[in-house]
Amino acid sequence: MTRSGFQKWIWLHKWSSLICTAFLLVICLTGLPLIFQDELGDFFDDALPYAAVPAGTPAVSIDTAVDASRARFPGEAVLFVFVDDDEPKIVVTMAPSWQAWAANKKSSHWIRFDAHTGQVLKASKPFNRDGIGFLEFMLRLHRDLFADLPGELFLGAMGLLFVIAIVSGAVVYGPFMRRLDFATVRSDRARRTRWLDLHNLLGVVILAWMLVVGLTGVINELSTPLFGLWQRTDVKAMLAPLQGAPVPSIAELSSPQAAFDTAKAAAPEMVATSIIFPGSPFGSPYHYLIWTKGHDTLTSRLFSPVLVNARDGTLSARVTVPWYLRALEVSRPLHFGDYGGLPLKIIWALLDLVTIVVLGSGLYLWLSRRASPFRRRQEPTVGRGGIVTAPAE
Amino acid sequence: MSGSRPMVQIWRWPLLLAALICFGLLAALLGGGGLWWWLSWLALGIPVATIAAGLWGRGTTKA
Repeated sequence: MTRSGFQKWIWLHKWSSLICTAFLLVICLTGLPLIFQDELGDFFDDALPYAAVPAGTPAVSIDTAVDASRARFPGEAVLFVFVDDDEPKIVVTMAPSWQAWAANKKSSHWIRFDAHTGQVLKASKPFNRDGIGFLEFMLRLHRDLFADLPGELFLGAMGLLFVIAIVSGAVVYGPFMRRLDFATVRSDRARRTRWLDLHNLLGVVILAWMLVVGLTGVINELSTPLFGLWQRTDVKAMLAPLQGAPVPSIAELSSPQAAFDTAKAAAPEMVATSIIFPGSPFGSPYHYLIWTKGHDTLTSRLFSPVLVNARDGTLSARVTVPWYLRALEVSRPLHFGDYGGLPLKIIWALLDLVTIVVLGSGLYLWLSRRASPFRRRQEPTVGRGGIVTAPAE
Repeated sequence: MSGSRPMVQIWRWPLLLAALICFGLLAALLGGGGLWWWLSWLALGIPVATIAAGLWGRGTTKA
């Protein structure tokens, strides 16, 4: 590499890192508890326990849970019902209306039922009136800094800078290591040299992991626009023949349990997990949309919708999901690290901590370089002839 | 410490570790659990162990 080429990559590495480091530190710190959100969520959960029932006890009908929810909140709209496949629960989410929900998602609230008994285990309050939980607080900071879509796009851009910093860091790693063995930490040298060696060692060892988690994080931040794109193209085209048809009123809706069963019969190889009621901005005004997923580690993350006519309960379509939503779905487990048991989560947490050290040491290397005018004059020794020597101290 | 090393030598270990990480990430995702999970933990544990060895084994904290 020529000296000027090297200087350009150093420049790119420096500025891409400097701009994103503060935000990446927030993302790494808030991401740490989120790795264990299943475990922590169970720990913090104050809901009533599931009833002890004999094995083989059938689940109550979704209709029972929906009717009970409507009786509890008359006049409100049921948005969707989630049926867990590994816990005996049915969760009904409601809001004053779909319009109110589209205007402010915080207007929704949920009621959790014991799937065996139909008993209410917990009911949330809208507008975070229960107070926002620790994990929710961490998630909002991690995902959008409490700024919704603009925050998601901003942090997505920071993630992209992080990816650029990783790539440019890898490019300049080679010249830096021309005179050093792999994993050399010159512990007899000045503090800045030791931290430089450590920064290079940690960064290069977990390079692939940081790239994967960085890139999948960026894709996750694009989830809202990607679903919006799908809605405006494929879903719109599919619903075009029905345009202008009267939207079914609540009284006209067919049984959600029957719609759920119809979807399961139409996709017998899949597990149905939720039913979106008509009117969703990410669904249809005329159909129940039932999300189904596969059985394996990967396919259980790939969701396919089935549309059931909400008036007469007949099967309308099994919908093909476009490639960009599949890419989003595959990027979720690779970002969350929640697909290989607790040991994988612990490894994820350790790698996250190492990333924090890489970020922190990078910041230190920049700050310590700027600290003394003497060292600023020393800067040109970095990169001479493509061979790098840390400033002597 | 003297002389300059060829790129192949500089990148031998980093590329091996990157390959292990990719294998570990995919083994748990595409394998059918069980043995594949163990292989995944092992493959991803090696970079972590490398760092631990780099930190403690070589005495970085020495003055």
